[in-house]
Amino acid sequence: MFKLDRKLITIGMTLALSTTLSVAAASTACIPGVYKSKPGAIDGGVIYPRENGVYTAYRYNTQSTKGVNFGRTPTANEIKAWDVDARPDGKGLPDGEGSVEDGDELFDAQCAVCHGDFGGGGKGYPQLAGGNQAKDKNGVVITLKNQRIKPGMDAPKRTVGTYWPYATTLFTYIRDAMPYAHPKSLTNDEVYALTAYILAQNEIKIDGQEMDDEYVLNKEKLMKVVLPNKDGFYPVIDGPEGPANVKAFFADRAKNIGMGTRCMKDCKDPSSGPGEKGLPAKLMKIKYEMKDVVPPYAFGKDLPPETDAGSVSKGEKLYDSSCKLCHGNDTMGAPRVGDASAWAAVMKKGMDKVLVNAIKGTGGMPPKGGNTDLSDADIKTIIEYMVGASK
Amino acid sequence: MNNKTEEKIASAGRRDFFKKTATVSAVAATTMVAPSAVMASGKDDENIVEEVKWGTTLGEECNKYPYGMPAAYEHNVVRRTSALMSSAGDMHAAISMTPIADLKGIIVPNGLHFTRTHNGVAHVNPNKWRLMIHGLVEKPIVLTLDQLKRYPSESRILFMECPSNSAAEWKGPQFGTAQFVKGMMSCAQWTGVRLKTILDELGLKPEAKWMLAEGGDGSEMSRTLPIEKVLDDVMIVYAQNGEALRNEQGYPVRLMAPGWEANLCVKWLKRLEFGDKPWYAKEETSKYTALTASGKAIQHFYALETNSIITSPAPEKDWKDLKKGDLVEIEGLAWSGYGTIKGVDISFDGGKNWVEAQLKGLVLPKCWTRFSYMYKYEGKPLLLQSRSYDDSGDVQPTVNQEKGIVGVECVYHRNAIVTWQVTEKGEVSNVQIRS
Repeated sequence: MFKLDRKLITIGMTLALSTTLSVAAASTACIPGVYKSKPGAIDGGVIYPRENGVYTAYRYNTQSTKGVNFGRTPTANEIKAWDVDARPDGKGLPDGEGSVEDGDELFDAQCAVCHGDFGGGGKGYPQLAGGNQAKDKNGVVITLKNQRIKPGMDAPKRTVGTYWPYATTLFTYIRDAMPYAHPKSLTNDEVYALTAYILAQNEIKIDGQEMDDEYVLNKEKLMKVVLPNKDGFYPVIDGPEGPANVKAFFADRAKNIGMGTRCMKDCKDPSSGPGEKGLPAKLMKIKYEMKDVVPPYAFGKDLPPETDAGSVSKGEKLYDSSCKLCHGNDTMGAPRVGDASAWAAVMKKGMDKVLVNAIKGTGGMPPKGGNTDLSDADIKTIIEYMVGASK
Repeated sequence: MNNKTEEKIASAGRRDFFKKTATVSAVAATTMVAPSAVMASGKDDENIVEEVKWGTTLGEECNKYPYGMPAAYEHNVVRRTSALMSSAGDMHAAISMTPIADLKGIIVPNGLHFTRTHNGVAHVNPNKWRLMIHGLVEKPIVLTLDQLKRYPSESRILFMECPSNSAAEWKGPQFGTAQFVKGMMSCAQWTGVRLKTILDELGLKPEAKWMLAEGGDGSEMSRTLPIEKVLDDVMIVYAQNGEALRNEQGYPVRLMAPGWEANLCVKWLKRLEFGDKPWYAKEETSKYTALTASGKAIQHFYALETNSIITSPAPEKDWKDLKKGDLVEIEGLAWSGYGTIKGVDISFDGGKNWVEAQLKGLVLPKCWTRFSYMYKYEGKPLLLQSRSYDDSGDVQPTVNQEKGIVGVECVYHRNAIVTWQVTEKGEVSNVQIRS
């Protein structure tokens, strides 16, 4: 026996030892939250491999999914109905035409209420026209360099004329999403007219031609529009090198979008921003706190205020808490709420008698159903609810 | 004491309770400190020595609410919005904020997930919903919801953040709660189909470089994504924390681009088209482009940078009840769209000196990560900050570091360090350390 035990113990020890070792090896190679990765994701981040059923902390099924093939081929008409987007190169723009004058009329009737007269903004909805389109020697729209680092400075204006890169975006957005409350209610001709009007308000010229009231916009002309801020965006995403440009841009995040440093002791943090380089950092408090939030701030663990508008009557509430245990089913022998014939039989006795029975107790029912906190009036309210709910 | 006497005491206790709850409702805020006051004075706590209502009455039926509701006492833990987060106070194109300081762990309950809409919350009939995948693919397809769900599914716990999170704070602090400083984000377990699984069957043509994702709501919200991301970890999701997506999150189906602007995770998804050129949709040109001090704007700004916020203490979770010498946990959230959070540092003096906090709980890529630091409260004024860093090498910047590169008119992608000022009384407010 002893020998056997010792052998078992030895085996057990070996097993325990090897388990410990392998666990230790696994845990150094795999600290939770430290996953195998490589740099070079298009967004500047890391890429995690999917290997042997493991993807970061997740397991996945390694069986082949080849041949999983649900769904059907769309018909040509279906694709035509949904594929209505348009790109800056004009691909996807529909036939049709509309004049600045027609657009003016439509704009006044359907758009000015939010976007203001002539698209000049108002009431908080996006301003579509206006702003200074003048550029500096590098081709940058000057007012877009406005930085409100001190009170009273002008904001950069982001209108179609000063900010948007492409006019095809205006066309597709109006057609898909406008008017705000009735999207997709405009014909293609109307959308061309509105696009023409908004471009005209931004003093856009097409092929050197000013857009007067009679100017008629169509697909060919819209493709030719060059908006002032076309080159105001980076990285460049056009052309076959577009994705590679994006990747290169985000690979240098410290330079291009800003990054912190892990300084731990006696850290200095002067500003390096335009117009304030070298200024020391100091404490800035809220000047005018935005407190107008919906629902209003409240942090207590209290009960919500009672409202009269609630769908549950007082009778039903009292019934739920004091009577439903027996009257909510047939098992207890009490007339069940909802059972019309049972309650018709009860009410043959008359309300007065039923009320007295309920208050004093009857058959298997204790006085007031066992809840002596209930007033006689409460009992009446409950009976009325129970009768009403059993018709 | 006989049974009758006991009953009388119990019912008297109940009546007392009702009277007391009436008072509690009227002065909810002040009664919150009552328990510690009772203990300090050495008096018996009535909640212990007297019977309580819930112990002496029959509770509600077990399935009274076939779809459960939070306790009524939690009714203040809700999403909030503000006219500043909308167009002209209109709440159809608006955003609501998650009450991040009231939440625990890394999963946001579905009813509290922040919501951004451009044309109201669409209510889609799932039986009439269709998804079309076409363009530069060998085999275009149309899927019903049931057919989509036939594809093998994967689940990921991922944060979702609006790139406008903290947009009101570029020029200085404006809001007085963590909910409004960083509440345009949430985190949930999302389930759906890896887009690559479907594309492997459809056959992507070699000239396909970009994907247009289009929503089916009134705004037809659409965005362009590069193929490289699409084939890496993009999903088409239909479940959120185990149940169907909420209407506010794009029921029945939305795109999920892990770590990227929530705006790219197109809701009420209707169509995916593959093309050789980008589309320049409205929400990637006139909006969702970051105008820098150079006068030019960053476009196709995808991943949300490494970021963090202390959620306890916070303005709405202050330290006013602490005594000098109390050992208390500082807790918060860190996240990064570039990868996985590696660590978080904490400063008590507005960023001059830092100590390392510890991570706790699940540490997952592109996911909320909890950090924790045990602090001995001394009743001294503090300028409390957290600074996260991730496995891609990104470190959260100071306000000055961020605006030094991009200026203050960006609107989007603000990830500068947040500062809570803690007063000697334990009050907490939102401030900034900047030039």
